[in-house]
Amino acid sequence: MYFKRVMADLKKCNRIAAMGAAMVLTVSMMLSGCSKPEEPTSSGNASSGDKMTVEIVAKGFQHDFWQAVLKGTEKAAEEFGVTTNFVGPEGEGAIAAQVEQLNNAINKGPDAICLAALDTSAAIDAISNAQSKGIPIIGFDSGVPGAPEGSVAANAATDNYKAGELAAEKMYEAIKDKITTSSDTVRIGIVAQEANSESITQRTAGFAEKMSALIGEDKSSVEGHDKYSRKVEGAKVIIEIRIPTEVTDNAGKTEALTLLNKEDLIAIYGSNEFAAKCIINANEGMNKLGADKVIAVGFDSGALQLDAVKSGVFYGSVTQDPVSIGYNAVKLAVAAAKGETVEDVDTGCQWYNAENMDSPEIAPCLYE
Amino acid sequence: MKPIEKKSLQTIFKQIGTQKLIAILALILIYIFFAIFSGPFRTSNTLISIFDSSYYIGFLAIGVTFVIITGGIDLSIGTVMVCSALMGGVLYEKGLPLPFALLAIVLIGAAFGLANGLMVSVLKLPAFIATLGTMMVTRGLGSIITGTKSITFPLRTAADGWYKSLFRTGAVGGLETGFPSGFLLLIGGAVIMAVILSKTRTGRYILALGSNKEATRLSGVNIVKWETIAYVISGTFAGIAAVSYVAIYSTVQPGTGNGFELDAIAGVVIGGTSLAGGVGSVAGTIIGVFIMSILKVGLPFIGLQPHYQLFITGFVLIAAVYADVRNRMKKKTR
Repeated sequence: MYFKRVMADLKKCNRIAAMGAAMVLTVSMMLSGCSKPEEPTSSGNASSGDKMTVEIVAKGFQHDFWQAVLKGTEKAAEEFGVTTNFVGPEGEGAIAAQVEQLNNAINKGPDAICLAALDTSAAIDAISNAQSKGIPIIGFDSGVPGAPEGSVAANAATDNYKAGELAAEKMYEAIKDKITTSSDTVRIGIVAQEANSESITQRTAGFAEKMSALIGEDKSSVEGHDKYSRKVEGAKVIIEIRIPTEVTDNAGKTEALTLLNKEDLIAIYGSNEFAAKCIINANEGMNKLGADKVIAVGFDSGALQLDAVKSGVFYGSVTQDPVSIGYNAVKLAVAAAKGETVEDVDTGCQWYNAENMDSPEIAPCLYE
Repeated sequence: MKPIEKKSLQTIFKQIGTQKLIAILALILIYIFFAIFSGPFRTSNTLISIFDSSYYIGFLAIGVTFVIITGGIDLSIGTVMVCSALMGGVLYEKGLPLPFALLAIVLIGAAFGLANGLMVSVLKLPAFIATLGTMMVTRGLGSIITGTKSITFPLRTAADGWYKSLFRTGAVGGLETGFPSGFLLLIGGAVIMAVILSKTRTGRYILALGSNKEATRLSGVNIVKWETIAYVISGTFAGIAAVSYVAIYSTVQPGTGNGFELDAIAGVVIGGTSLAGGVGSVAGTIIGVFIMSILKVGLPFIGLQPHYQLFITGFVLIAAVYADVRNRMKKKTR
């Protein structure tokens, strides 16, 4: 009776609005119901019995690379019987958001923290806080370069500098003839996602410096961005680095396009999945990449890049072992929390191309 | 004879509107500027790239023009675009045939538009807040639905890859770079919406609503209905923008989309639509979007580093809005 009166009192419009809003909410909830399962063991309970907790702060989920890292952490969590919580900001430019997540993680009082810092200096206060609370920090992927003495116990990461060098060595094999036989200047392009995080900067620098060494420092000039500049007037080979204004498909594709449009370009390198993707997108319609055209080398994997490597558009790419990174990060964290001494783990990098990408050593490292 | 000629020229200018003429002139000048200073900029592929990068912003901008005309704003269009694309992608992965998945994307965008419209017109929430809320909801919803994974739509080489040709055909005829078919879709959409805005009841009521809401209500117009429709249009076009985005970039990632709305709104404002409402044109919006696109593609081409690009784009926006404000003040004092 009362209900009827309430409904009658409600103006027709308000009812429609309420139903409309309710419908949208219901549909959203239904759809989230049939979504894929969320990350496991998100610890709302900091200490459930004797289980250790490890908070993991990654660089986000903007690239599927992190899904593979997550799998590695889950594997280790099961093996060592610990509870892990894997978080990351929405995008790899969200430095402030990551610092907040790090602070949250510290406040939860975990036994250890794993961190892949977007920007170490922004996180310095949080790191010192963790140190004073006696929470060991394990770096992974980019790690925490420049962290205060003793705050980071060890790192589980690819030696990104070496990985960049590997890319340069393999690319050099394909282009060295072009360099020696060409009478005009030639150009090698690099697309880098940004110039902040350790992993990207190391891969970019490693590539640029190795390539310079292989060609000859006096014959090569590195330009395009203040951070990596080593200008040599009249050099035979110009290594041009381009970084987009923001980490969006549009901006990255445009930077890649600028390089692909240069007549003297003989090769192009993307120092992570995003950069490789932008190069592939920019190539669409131009078809400038290929075995006897512009040699393209990428990094990591992802659906678009795997397709490009398989079809030969990309000469090949360097892959990390993201599952191993995640696994070792948690393994080191558990050891550090128990008070054992820990050492850095180099999870390694490998070169893959259309021939070996399905082999048992390479395939598990690649992800869609 | 002479006086008659002069009059018709003046009326032509008046019909097009000085603001739009300035915008068209600016567009041509900027293109010429970059073409002079950068050889590679002049290639057909660069032009097609400019088109590629303007489709999703263009569709977003067309839709939000209607909302801005009502005096409101829609901050959610960027994330609604990404969320719709992700939800459509999940449906496709679950087995829904591609054409239906693409249609679903547009309908999902419209649904979010409806939610926005109801919040603003019925619940009387300020548009800024309501759409800000929707922006955050859809930002998170995309991640929830996909489990934070990104979705890759079929590549051009795949069996289902035909949808890409809707926006950019493969090598055809003598054109190696492919034909920017999406441009036809964008212009077609713009023409349809321009006609709706100027010639139909919907458009006229929306313009009246933005100009003076109270007077429009007192004349017996159901402003709840028409204001909601403006937001539904915005949401639908966000869905269409999502389809164009996946056709060009293939992979959509959850958590992205922020910032697209501001790019679209910047295009709308440069094109002459006032944020105060009551005045607007779809043609102006398209011109504004292309000005932004040319800047975004051209500045890297002349070798500027990223920080300079952002710096200059900001100045262009301020200059464009200033020109609009001055033009409006001039009209008032006449």
